[in-house]
Amino acid sequence: MKQISTVGSLCPECLRTIEGIKFVEDGKVYIKKECAEHGSFTTLISKDVNHYLKMEECFDVDRARVKAPLTDVNKGCPYDCGICPSHKQDTCLAIVEITDRCDLGCTYCFADSTSDASNDPDMDTIRRMFEAVKSCSNEPTCVQISGGEPTLRNDLPEIIKMAKEVGISHVELNTNGRRIARDQDYFDRIKAAGIDAIYLGFDGVSDDVYLQRTGKKLFDIKAEVINKCDKAGIGVVLVPLVAKNYNLHEVGKIIEFASQKVPTVRGVHFQPVFYSGRSPAEMEGRTTILELLEEIETQTDGQLKVENFTPSLMPTAHCGATCLTLIDNGNFIPLTNVSMGAVRSKSDVANKTKKSIMGRWKGSTPDLQPVSKPSCHDLLSKASLVNASKSDVSSSCCEKPNNTISIETIPMESSCCRSSGGWADFIEMSMNKYLTISTMAFQDVWSYEKERVENCCIHVVTQDGKLIPFCNYNLSNCNGDFLYRNKNKVIGMDD
Amino acid sequence: MTINISDETNSLLKDNGFRIEEIQEIIESAESSGNKLKDADGEVFIARGDSDNLTTYAVYSPLANGAFELKSAYAHKMKVAGLTGGSFGEVEYDDESGWTCHKCNEEAVDRNVDMFYLDVSRPGPGIVCPKCGDIYITQGVTKTLKTAESILEEKRA
Ligand code: SF4
Ligand SMILES: [Zn+2]
Ligand SMILES: [Zn+2]
Repeated sequence: MKQISTVGSLCPECLRTIEGIKFVEDGKVYIKKECAEHGSFTTLISKDVNHYLKMEECFDVDRARVKAPLTDVNKGCPYDCGICPSHKQDTCLAIVEITDRCDLGCTYCFADSTSDASNDPDMDTIRRMFEAVKSCSNEPTCVQISGGEPTLRNDLPEIIKMAKEVGISHVELNTNGRRIARDQDYFDRIKAAGIDAIYLGFDGVSDDVYLQRTGKKLFDIKAEVINKCDKAGIGVVLVPLVAKNYNLHEVGKIIEFASQKVPTVRGVHFQPVFYSGRSPAEMEGRTTILELLEEIETQTDGQLKVENFTPSLMPTAHCGATCLTLIDNGNFIPLTNVSMGAVRSKSDVANKTKKSIMGRWKGSTPDLQPVSKPSCHDLLSKASLVNASKSDVSSSCCEKPNNTISIETIPMESSCCRSSGGWADFIEMSMNKYLTISTMAFQDVWSYEKERVENCCIHVVTQDGKLIPFCNYNLSNCNGDFLYRNKNKVIGMDD
Repeated sequence: MTINISDETNSLLKDNGFRIEEIQEIIESAESSGNKLKDADGEVFIARGDSDNLTTYAVYSPLANGAFELKSAYAHKMKVAGLTGGSFGEVEYDDESGWTCHKCNEEAVDRNVDMFYLDVSRPGPGIVCPKCGDIYITQGVTKTLKTAESILEEKRA
């Protein structure tokens, strides 16, 4: 047993803050912690220490804090969320839940889907939620409207409009897509309200999967949503909820499907099913990031390898993994690789993530403006030396009747306007034909690390206008009592 | 060696993070070795300087008094691996690149060369001396390469 570090954690029974250690044994990484009252708990957090450490090596971010904290430091982390001044990380995505209602009744579900319409926040409350984001987080601000199923509300278009009025830069909608598929008028109004992207629940490419989860055939509905968004010019991210014995065998097919739908589909965000087990052993039933990546590698015939997934710009190296890949004639050309090590970036993590969230939708890379489309002129460069050279040796790429250079032997990029396979092509492809494949690991009370949560950049907005780091918002003890979600009182407190 | 630099060129150097000394060095070494491209009238030269992570070019002209005038400087991070296809292929009608390899006194021609950066390799147009095989990338192509470099860097970040 080799200790890596100490960790601040919580007791899975009483949610008191307790100390623990992170250690390696037989190539696996564990957290062991002890509560004076409830004893000692050991949890496996990675089955491959090499991958675990490689991700850490490759992770390097600068951070910025929120513009203005909304709560005080009082009882200590994690009891002061709101965001409190101790929090080390600005918001990159704020989640605004506008209803708890849902029309699917899924086996796997995160949200509490039991309440009725009278519990939905009213327009004033929602406005205050948007305003909380504006006052707390730095620009630009990104909000995901979520639920429940937000499209159960008829006033969703007005809510989107209001977000824009309040000044939220990017508004995306998290939906199962059913209403969008059948209600064109509703979709038109969402579009007119200024929605920037659709986060579409998409668990598989066959109805078997949907039947298992919801008892309904949904694949055609999903396809129709993508179709509608394609026509409307709205970007879509497919969000498969992943679980063993459910759709883990289909992740390769999902990626393949997505690659056929670029650029409308911008990415696939795999969300391993989150559940709070009653024991660490039970938790091992969930799908870890590494397991998911291994499945992706196998199911894409090694085109997308585990090593192509680098730590997402998230709180820590272990919160998420991302692969960016170009799509070239049905094949993948991954652009990311852990072996390339950390990229030193000047901009901080939230800002970068926001840019990438927004950049995905706009279909270009915001940092690169202006990216003029590569033209003949740029490629046939003699002409570009005009300032330096006295004469403009005219570039004759488009009229080269005598050019008998065989494309096979020398794929001359300059032999015609449409280059093939060259760097200009590469640029064009990366603007239009790329896919972001990502995944995120939520923390549970067993794997909980203070360092991860206090750096969390995804914040859930509560109806009283506070921002709660995502993992804390959904954290419950082993008996299912939440720390924040649906809570008026905070448990685990000695007050 | 005297190198004249106009204010305009000077601000271009600054904006792109070039140091005058390194550009001077590149020109000096090209002048002493003869490794440079020259245009048809011998009025414009391109010199290349290779360092670990950057290939830098200086575009300059000789002046009557024996001094030189720097016209432009540019660079790419990509490595040039060599000719696409591995070797220099003769083609029936070679377009003249308009440049001559000074050292070999040989007309340089357009050929695709493989360039790689961050694990991605692609061809792009180069100016190649058929005799010594020296490869130069022009300023216009460098603009494209720069965009590709930023994409790769951005996407990795
Ligand atoms: S998670 Fe962040 S906001 Fe919440 S108490 Fe800890 S430091 Fe404060
Ligand atoms: Zn306890
Ligand atoms: Zn030569």
